[in-house]
Amino acid sequence: MRRLSPISMAALAVVVAWALAAVLAPWIAPFPPGRIVTRDSLADLSFRFPLGTDYLGRDMLSRVLFGARYTLGIAALSTSLACLMGVTLGLTAAARGGWFDMAASRILDAMISVPSLLAALVVVSSLGSSIPVLIAVAAVIYTPGAYRLSRAIAVNINAMDFVAVARARGEGTLYLIAAEILPNMILPVLTDFGLRFVFVVLLLTGMSFLGLGIQPPNADWGTLVRENVEGLSFGAPAVITPALAIATLTIAVNALIDSVATGRRDDDIR
Amino acid sequence: MNAAMLRLIALRLALGALTLFIVAALVFTATELLPGDVAEALLGQSATPAAVAGLRAALHLDQPSWWRFCLWLGGLLGGDPGVSLVNRLPVVVLIGNRLPNSLKLASITASVTVPLALLLGITTAMWRGSRYDRMVGMAIIGIVSVPEFLIASLAVLVFAVKLRWLPALAFRAGPQDFWAMMRLLAIPVGTLALVGIGQMSRMTRAALVTVLESSYVEMARLKGAGPLRIVLIHALPNALGPIVNAIALSTSFLLGGVIIVETIFNYPGLAKLMVDAVSTRDLPLVQACAMLFCAAYLALVLVADVVAILSNPRLRQR
Amino acid sequence: MREHEIGSDGLGRREVMRMLTASGMAAAGSGWLAGPALAQAPKRGGTIRAAGYSSSTADTVDPAKQTLSTDYVRCNMFYNTLTALDGNLAPQPELAASIESDRATVWTIKLRKGVTFHDGKALTAADVVYSLSRHNDPKVGSIAKPLAAQMVEIKATAPDEVQITLSSPNADFPVVLGTFHFHIIKEGTTDFTTAIGTGPYKCKEFTPGVRTIGVRNANYWKPGKPYLDEIEFFGIPDETARVNALLAGDIHIAGGITPRSTRLIKAQPGLAVFETPAGVYTDLITRLDAPVSGNLDFALAMKYLQDREQMRDAIWQGFAVIGNDHPITPSNRFYNKDIPQRAFDPDRAKFHFQKSGIGATAIPIVVSPAAAGSAEMAVMLQEAGGKIGLNLEVRRVPADGYWANHWLKSAVGYGNINPRPSVDILMSLFFKSDAPWNESAWKDPKFDQLLLAARGEIDFARRKQMYGDMQLMIRDQSGIGIPLFNSYLDGHVTGLKGLAPIPVGGMMGFNFAENVWLDA
Repeated sequence: MRRLSPISMAALAVVVAWALAAVLAPWIAPFPPGRIVTRDSLADLSFRFPLGTDYLGRDMLSRVLFGARYTLGIAALSTSLACLMGVTLGLTAAARGGWFDMAASRILDAMISVPSLLAALVVVSSLGSSIPVLIAVAAVIYTPGAYRLSRAIAVNINAMDFVAVARARGEGTLYLIAAEILPNMILPVLTDFGLRFVFVVLLLTGMSFLGLGIQPPNADWGTLVRENVEGLSFGAPAVITPALAIATLTIAVNALIDSVATGRRDDDIR
Repeated sequence: MNAAMLRLIALRLALGALTLFIVAALVFTATELLPGDVAEALLGQSATPAAVAGLRAALHLDQPSWWRFCLWLGGLLGGDPGVSLVNRLPVVVLIGNRLPNSLKLASITASVTVPLALLLGITTAMWRGSRYDRMVGMAIIGIVSVPEFLIASLAVLVFAVKLRWLPALAFRAGPQDFWAMMRLLAIPVGTLALVGIGQMSRMTRAALVTVLESSYVEMARLKGAGPLRIVLIHALPNALGPIVNAIALSTSFLLGGVIIVETIFNYPGLAKLMVDAVSTRDLPLVQACAMLFCAAYLALVLVADVVAILSNPRLRQR
Repeated sequence: MREHEIGSDGLGRREVMRMLTASGMAAAGSGWLAGPALAQAPKRGGTIRAAGYSSSTADTVDPAKQTLSTDYVRCNMFYNTLTALDGNLAPQPELAASIESDRATVWTIKLRKGVTFHDGKALTAADVVYSLSRHNDPKVGSIAKPLAAQMVEIKATAPDEVQITLSSPNADFPVVLGTFHFHIIKEGTTDFTTAIGTGPYKCKEFTPGVRTIGVRNANYWKPGKPYLDEIEFFGIPDETARVNALLAGDIHIAGGITPRSTRLIKAQPGLAVFETPAGVYTDLITRLDAPVSGNLDFALAMKYLQDREQMRDAIWQGFAVIGNDHPITPSNRFYNKDIPQRAFDPDRAKFHFQKSGIGATAIPIVVSPAAAGSAEMAVMLQEAGGKIGLNLEVRRVPADGYWANHWLKSAVGYGNINPRPSVDILMSLFFKSDAPWNESAWKDPKFDQLLLAARGEIDFARRKQMYGDMQLMIRDQSGIGIPLFNSYLDGHVTGLKGLAPIPVGGMMGFNFAENVWLDA
């Protein structure tokens, strides 16, 4: 393990800070996030409201802290799910080959071809927006990408000498996956995880813009930006803070990945 | 071009057709799963059992779904995706009204994005690890992580509201000269380009870096070739496959993935049409739009594959 | 925002019979709107771009099909009605030169002379008969069929005279004739891909879902009007985009802006906010025929949970008047002052909620940007409900398709109702047991009887008593909660002159096109 550079240390600190905010929100938020605490809407920073107030006069600090729960929570859960499903399918396809590989590759390829925001829109508007639905939709949308990556890596590793040696020893497929293939693909998959995490955050933001994200009074950061966007013209903190929150989180996650892995990444936003 | 390559291309085409068929099945099943009977949704409160039964028959909803899938697929193959359930206009007409707008926006954006992204990707790959490379890298991450609608709103605020250089709406009907159209589309194209350039240039850089670090490029360098010559003559042709693939991905996104920009700039494009169709449960229109987006994606990826095959010397010789 | 028809008794200064049958008609041809805005002499010429707040492939120029405010604005550019409501909501003659009645049952209308359609054909009684009769033809599918049904006989008694017989007396009939759906079209018109009327502008282009262009009708029968050479009218559904377009100078007037946008508009030199106080309301709907939530106790609990002052200040920035859960505004002459104002009362709410037996079951409440302010109001209810153990689940749906897919279908949700020209029309459309838009599915035969009796009642005091009783019934027995009446707000460039409030709706009662001019 090499030492982390100052930039990656800072990135790590940002990610950890947001994660803590998400976990501790109920205890550290000064107000309930849905309560209207003042008639002064879109107010500036003040001692009582350190991040100002939103368009209805709710405390922004509390809303941003609670927003971290939704943004981080949903993004982390759905990205993990997507990676889990993608890697499982990808490994199975690479290890078994044949018709399974063929069918899985075709079906997941077909899924990739649907624009992600529109796919999410169709599913969410028919099932109704709830957190489990949002998580499931994001996970399904980003599974094909993870599948493609892990299958490609697994196929490459599969062809390598040490795997051939193991196979010659008479090891079974499960052993091969667990002992030889998996350890060698952790790094690229992790890199991929970070990128997908960012895409999920942006997908959620897009859903919020279309009114299909987290339902009020709860709000993820994207929703917070959207509902206060009218404050943009006079620089209200209510719109700038959540936007900064998104930017810091995604930049930090990206910077962290860059320092952990130097491998190339070639993926798309679908 | 030789027989082996033609066979390779034919295989890709066949795979594309197969994928399109799977897409059709997925789209059909997904829209079928939408809760609520279409007939009941259409009739609303006047949904008496007799009326529902009648409408279901008229819409072929009383037949098994595999048969309806065949009917629908047959219609699609014959070029008839059906009639809108909401205003009874042929789906072809509704899409035909919006398609030119979407194509216009997509092509202008692509013509801005692709050269810029290639330039950034190539230069950062040439001087990888330099201060320039790192700065561009950070800038790209920064821009990509800002929500699209915020970029768009900010751009409208600055360029249309405060500075008054450009209009806030992207659509004005009637004939316009070239520059008027450019002015109208400047902010939406700029917004989309910002998002697209980030993606595309990173992928270009990644593909080039892999090739630049390979042994034969090292050989060329040892032979004394200049950096520009190395990139353009030795590296680029070999990295063309992944780069074209990246361009195809970003471009296909421009057709159906621009719903946010279409909403903010009041631009009558296809994505907005599909969103409207979803909200009114206009299934034939939803299905047709989805198929169109998927077909466009598959076609672009196919073109990218063919270009990759044609350009790759190793594949060419195989 | 849903737009259906016109008018309200908002200012309560209207005396239909007197205005029309005696002195009212004398005003014809002179100044229609003697507002302060008219102190300046109008200028001729210029082209404007105007944006409303909806746009879809369902846009229409068929008077019978008008459903949205954008349809009203568009049709008012091309057509006239027989009467029109002015700034005091008094009906003024338009295509009618005079209207007389025999005991409010048989109405005789004399037409204005020298009026021609855009294609040069003169206006005759046959056109009027056709325009009014078609609403009773089921094949036309008119929105105004419930209103038109009272006209049992419509006949031409002379080339310039029409006689209409009503099924029962209706003192408000001249107001009914001013309803936009009763725009006068040419006899035999069935094709509505373009519009040929008698109105101030001729239709140059009409593309549903995209835009409408009207050019000045040089032969318009109102002398000097209209002032503009051309109007381009279109819809921008996204409010932020609409306001930005105004701020950026892309358009001259933006209809239906939110109270929160007013400070942006006021802050920019050269722009102004145009306020029209009116009887428009966003109402809480508890459908009484729904499972689980469909009971009166739950509805009452919801009504008591509305913190009206907070809603007025936080959501409407003060651009609103507090309501008492019935649709009559305090300034209306039929307003019942003796009904106590319902206040925010969590204890009473809790009592009714517990009686409803719903318990911890989550109740979804459907909101949409289509019903202005509904999301914010529901969030406040949810917050207040949490404290009495009521578990509301706010479900936000897009504005597109809201009226077709959610309104009247959601068990708990919101509607948005525009002012109506008379109490009778309002109650008939939204509260009568068999009304198509009976939002809470509230059925009461006694209410229906009162409604019918009041319609034919000529004595004002007795009529007021009846309407007063009906207000109490709606307040206490229906599933409708009306916390506020809000103002219509439009933004416009200050160079656009001639705007004066007509409390029928925003954008000068949807009829700014013929009244405004550009002062460059």
